[in-house]
Amino acid sequence: MNPPDTTSKERKDMSTGRDPSPRAEPAADASEATISVERRRGHGVNVNGLNAYYGKQHAVKNVDIAFPANEVTAIIGPSGSGKSTVVRCVNRMHEEIPGARAEGRVALDELDVYAPGVDLTAVRRMIGMVFQKPNPFPTMSIFENVAAGLRLTGTKSDNLRERVHRSLRAVGLWGEVKNRLNEPGIGLSGGQQQRLCIARAVAIEPEVILMDEPCSALDPIATLRVEELIDELKSRYTIVIVTHNMQQAARVADSTVFMLDGEVIEHAPTNEIFTRPKDERTERYVTGKFG
Amino acid sequence: MSVNGLVLPEVSARRRRTDRIMRGLLLAATIVALVPLVLVIYYLLKQGLSAINGSFFTQDPTGSFFGGVGGARSAILGSLEIVLLATVISVPIGIGVALYLTEYGQSSRFADVIRYFVDVMTGVPSIVFGLFIYITLVLAHLGGNFTAWKGSVALALLMLPIVIRSAEVVLLLVPASLREAALALGAPRWRVITRVVLPTSASGLVTGSLLAVARAMGETAPLLFTTAGAAGLTFSLSQQMNAMPVQIYNDILSPRQVVVSQAWGLGLILVLIVLILNLIARAVSRRSRLG
Repeated sequence: MNPPDTTSKERKDMSTGRDPSPRAEPAADASEATISVERRRGHGVNVNGLNAYYGKQHAVKNVDIAFPANEVTAIIGPSGSGKSTVVRCVNRMHEEIPGARAEGRVALDELDVYAPGVDLTAVRRMIGMVFQKPNPFPTMSIFENVAAGLRLTGTKSDNLRERVHRSLRAVGLWGEVKNRLNEPGIGLSGGQQQRLCIARAVAIEPEVILMDEPCSALDPIATLRVEELIDELKSRYTIVIVTHNMQQAARVADSTVFMLDGEVIEHAPTNEIFTRPKDERTERYVTGKFG
Repeated sequence: MSVNGLVLPEVSARRRRTDRIMRGLLLAATIVALVPLVLVIYYLLKQGLSAINGSFFTQDPTGSFFGGVGGARSAILGSLEIVLLATVISVPIGIGVALYLTEYGQSSRFADVIRYFVDVMTGVPSIVFGLFIYITLVLAHLGGNFTAWKGSVALALLMLPIVIRSAEVVLLLVPASLREAALALGAPRWRVITRVVLPTSASGLVTGSLLAVARAMGETAPLLFTTAGAAGLTFSLSQQMNAMPVQIYNDILSPRQVVVSQAWGLGLILVLIVLILNLIARAVSRRSRLG
């Protein structure tokens, strides 16, 4: 199921709770560089019995979702339905919020990311995230922003320049920025900034990319570009996208999850969710009757 | 005047009168506050300029009742050295405490207790810090009686709460989204701090520290108890050292008019140094990336 040898190595490291620092694995680092262009078999995420809390507030209630490898899964639902919280539990960002905690099982393939002793930073390196508002680092140039993922994780890369260039190409930003790589990242337009953030996430070669309403701060043309990008990225990554925009879910997602009040109401192939939903609440939501 | 039954009433005479009186009172308060400020600068210039000549910067005060009065070299250099050491002590510790409060302690009970103590320390009169060092370090004969480094410690205590408070404010200005972005890339918290939080807030941290330096520069009381003025020039921190505020204090008590005017000259230099520090602080904060 997981042919790339690099990930099997990471699996072993995670299960023993050690930091699978790529610094100690120059060979793995180099092989990663060669597989990046072609299609890559990704890894799915399985969420089982997930409960998440903000203090006493029970935001996610006993959720089970499977995010299949190399597919785009959209999570839709009204505000406060727990969509973002589910996603933030997958890469364990949820627990960064004071008073927040999560229970249950989240597994990358069979690997439990909540297993005791697991290195949080290793989990997050494998499960990247793109946020609602573009958040490039203001002190860094365009180049440094993309390199940040590698530098911030202490990843030693002999071909840093090449990896940065490749990531910028992967998000279709190369042509627009190749002549000003040393200018500040915050000088770009909103849509370019968001693609820069995606490039930053892609540069560390994660297995999964979580996107929390990545287009809600963008104009329609920039949104379209990001959607095209998502479609391209799924050949290499497993993608989960939280969205308020049902047309967007219909355009990009292979399957769609409908959430309401912290529970999963329905999870089905996207066209089924929008054309013949099984649950009456899903139908009311996708037809715009509430939410 | 009435249009279609609608009436826009004019402002009543009473409200206009009250407005004019209140504005007048506020302007009067501003002028009253400004008069002493302007007078201080006027007297400093009038009395101080005559004392400042070539030997003011090249000779040390003689302290004798007869003959030449010398200059103020030892006081100026002494102040700079004592405050430099105080800065080296207080700025790293202060920024460290602020980092603990914003990045780790956050709203915990312990952090709130620290904040409370820092606030109390801000209000402690400087003479109390001098007294404290006098009792704990000077009377204990730790490495000599009166020494320059003890003065630095006293000034560092004075600067510490200022640095902590200003640094905490600046660190809180760093958007949480940047910390999240870095954490989600798999960065360990210490790298988030060194690579993202500190660079983003650097100019603000410098500004706050410079204001603390400016404050320490003019403090007399902590130095009276700790370094005690020696007229001669020394760079050894383990000896008594002259400092500007102490020299002013000594000069002003002298019956000789030339010595008193030396004090004015030194006061003018002190104000100039503080003014320059403030200007640098403003220039640095204008370059801030935090807006």
